[in-house]
Amino acid sequence: MSEYLKNIVETATSVFEGMSITFSHLFRKPVTIQYPDKTERPLTEMIPDRFRGFLKVDMEICTACLACMNDCPIDCIIIKTKKDETSATKERVLTQFDIDEAKCMYCGLCTEPCPTGAIHFTKEFERATEDINDLVFKFVPEGQVIVPYKAPKKEAASGGGGALDEAEAEETADA
Amino acid sequence: MELNTEEMLLNMGPQHPSTHGVIRFVVKTDGEVMSAAVPDIGYLHRSIEKIAEKATYNGFMPWTDRVDYLAAMNCNVAYAMAVEKIAGIEISRRAEYLRVIAMELNRIISHLLAVGSLGMDIGAYTPFVHALREREKANDLIEELCGQRLTYNYARIGGVIYDMTPNWDAKVLAFLEQFEPLLNEFDRLLTDAKILKKRLGGVGVVTAEEAINYNLVGPNLRGSGVKWDLRKDMPYSVYPELDFEVPVGTGEAGVLGDCFDRYNVRMKEMRESVKILRQCFERIPAGEYQVKVPKKIRPPAGDVYVRTESTRGDLGVYLVSDGSDKACRVKFRCGSFNAMSIVEKISRGMMVADLIAFIASLDIVAPEIDR
Amino acid sequence: MQKLADLLIQKIPALQPVPVDFVYLGVQVVFALVMLMAFVAPFAGIVSWVERRIAARMMDRVGPNRVGPQGFFQWIADGIKSILKEDIIPTAADPILFRLAPYLVFAGMFAAFVTIPFSSGLIIADLNVGIFYLIAVTSIVVVGILMAGWASNNKYSLLGGMRSAAQIVSYEIPAGLAILVVVFLTGSLSIQDIIKGQGAYPWQWYLFDNPFMPVAFLSLFISSLAEGNRTPFDIPEAESELVSGYSTEYSGMRFVFFYFEEWANLYLIAAVGTALFLGGWQIPPEVKTWASALGGVVGFTLPHALEFATFFLKSAVIVFIIIWIRWTLPRIRVDQLMSLCWKYLTPFGFAASLGVAVWMVVFPQGVMSVRYALCAGAATIVLYFFYRVAYQVWYSRQPIHVNPFV
Repeated sequence: MSEYLKNIVETATSVFEGMSITFSHLFRKPVTIQYPDKTERPLTEMIPDRFRGFLKVDMEICTACLACMNDCPIDCIIIKTKKDETSATKERVLTQFDIDEAKCMYCGLCTEPCPTGAIHFTKEFERATEDINDLVFKFVPEGQVIVPYKAPKKEAASGGGGALDEAEAEETADA
Repeated sequence: MELNTEEMLLNMGPQHPSTHGVIRFVVKTDGEVMSAAVPDIGYLHRSIEKIAEKATYNGFMPWTDRVDYLAAMNCNVAYAMAVEKIAGIEISRRAEYLRVIAMELNRIISHLLAVGSLGMDIGAYTPFVHALREREKANDLIEELCGQRLTYNYARIGGVIYDMTPNWDAKVLAFLEQFEPLLNEFDRLLTDAKILKKRLGGVGVVTAEEAINYNLVGPNLRGSGVKWDLRKDMPYSVYPELDFEVPVGTGEAGVLGDCFDRYNVRMKEMRESVKILRQCFERIPAGEYQVKVPKKIRPPAGDVYVRTESTRGDLGVYLVSDGSDKACRVKFRCGSFNAMSIVEKISRGMMVADLIAFIASLDIVAPEIDR
Repeated sequence: MQKLADLLIQKIPALQPVPVDFVYLGVQVVFALVMLMAFVAPFAGIVSWVERRIAARMMDRVGPNRVGPQGFFQWIADGIKSILKEDIIPTAADPILFRLAPYLVFAGMFAAFVTIPFSSGLIIADLNVGIFYLIAVTSIVVVGILMAGWASNNKYSLLGGMRSAAQIVSYEIPAGLAILVVVFLTGSLSIQDIIKGQGAYPWQWYLFDNPFMPVAFLSLFISSLAEGNRTPFDIPEAESELVSGYSTEYSGMRFVFFYFEEWANLYLIAAVGTALFLGGWQIPPEVKTWASALGGVVGFTLPHALEFATFFLKSAVIVFIIIWIRWTLPRIRVDQLMSLCWKYLTPFGFAASLGVAVWMVVFPQGVMSVRYALCAGAATIVLYFFYRVAYQVWYSRQPIHVNPFV
């Protein structure tokens, strides 16, 4: 009998307490960020700096070392170089630098070994399209070639892997 | 004249709102009471272990995120620990502390989703959204730390990829300050509800002996009363220096080892994680966060087995190396796979509604089962 | 309604050769259609919008806010979308029963609306067995749900349909017992008589008449929730278990018919509770005389409008409580639901009816002090509730924000 009454009393008190909690939520501000119409601050301010959006390559400082292509675990970077017969020094030039952003898993393993910080993440992510081939970013325009960057001698010596070096290189590259 | 009553074969198919992931249960039921519920797995197999034989040691790290995407940090760290053990790499103290901070934050996030979706399967939609709200705040913190919200790729062989941003520890401590009262409110709303105790109490009872025999781990094992936590019993990383309790099920809503005990163990574990996080922030030393490792790691031939306490239990990584720069075999041993094995035994004689509560209380995550 | 029909026969000569009964019937049908179009349908739609907004605010979200001001036209958009959908009927489904089921469910619910009073004069059919007819006709919904479950040729739907049939049929008993208690106090089954037996002020309502009435009210409230398939009793449509139960195979407008019935049923539950226990459309007599004395058209319509406003307000509070309960409590299991009905609500129903019968014999006029004491007790509970709400807000240390429109 006491079990019976205990059940009733416990149910009533727990329902009462639960209802008071949900009622109290009516008086709190909703936490929804109404993207993209009404955001309190612009989107780029709300995204942290380390956010891994789409990849971008600054072709002016790319040294064509192919470290990013070799480190990519999913083979979404395609870099093709050729020997430029027309120039005087017969150096290598870049003919193709494609990143398939639909295949990319945004892991960041390509940005770590880059000696100059040319390949980096942006804060951009809004590029939904209807054709998946639109998501292959071609950084060397059609028909052109790009001469890779040659770092001055003393900075090139300190290039290499590791995050500390990458941060240094990024700072000097952005400056 | 006899009534011809057949058993109904019900297919809780791969697409179902409340099997946590893509799992299929073939349920034989007579009205409401089941006679067997046989799980059918393999719908989420992505050959991650085979990919490990093709990717380099460093390059495999993003794939470990996908083994269990709700406890991605733990999988990262377990794999990194395995490679460091076989290659003989020692990492710095600061890197160890950063890893533990990230893992415990991930534990809070994963348990919030587990208890929230348990509530939702029982029919309480509001606590689920409240748990997700807290989860979003913690996700924002981790996004600031490493750049992603779900598949972190934070640990590296030799340490971690990024150090804390300035003021990150103050932000995390502020989050923990406002998280504890909201966790108590969640308790008052869901845990104390009599209807929840009636739904979960005495349902899906797993005795301690059965739990050990069927190899359950993590909160599933501790819910049956067995006090076994790898962080205390086989400590690794900086856990020997930290002071926290290991919650066990007490059978307060019915029988020891029922669904409510497992749920309660998860709620208490979140509070313990908050304690651990506070201690880590007090004790973290200055230093470097990544040691120099060669670009292509070639560990000596041999094998190693590393066990860590992930959110779902004992996450083991068995690594076989043949001396080259690609692993010969990587095997992940996950807690959810063993939890599936006990479903068939316990489900005999249960009702269909109880099966849902039982599966939710085991905190099964499908990608971990199939990898 | 009869007076209106007589007025029409006087004014329109073309109606005079027609037999009087046919004119009465015609007027009733026309008004029933008007009520369906102008009250029931918009109410069901608007309450779906209100439910989504309230549910969202309880979850710290915003809710629908894009279609129209504050998302108000969301229900129109939903209705238009459902009509434009392809009408999918499974090949192996029973062709006649599958199509008939939503209409039966709808008819059962709407047939009860004709006996709901809006004010002292506005009621489509003032039957002298009003409340009895209401409980009887809402049971047609069971037939519709069972039909939907069976005809869908889907094991999940069948499970949902059977659960629902068991649930609704069992919960008729505590509901009937609670209504019986009110009929004891009134002496008549007609709804208008039940309301006329109460007064405008809380101590004149049947809810606080004697200590057994709150028990009967709670019993009626819980049983009506179970009959309307609302959480915590929404097992037939338990989304996480049976993917929508008996209405799984339905799509488009047929699907919406089931939910239309559920939302319109909210008003039915609230109206029955208000009429039987909370004093219905009664306004204080001084207000009524003041309003009628204003003269002219205003003096004719204002008392009815005030009465309708009172009735609607009380029903709206009960509808809010039903929505609020849905988003707070978990669902109970089928066998626990049966045990709740047979082991808790039915014995309490019998005890209440016995108690009220004995009370009426011992105190034929009732005891005013008991009524005042019960009113005071209810007020204390409400005040304690708001104190707990303030405590929750203070405890969570979140900023307060009262504007319902974000």
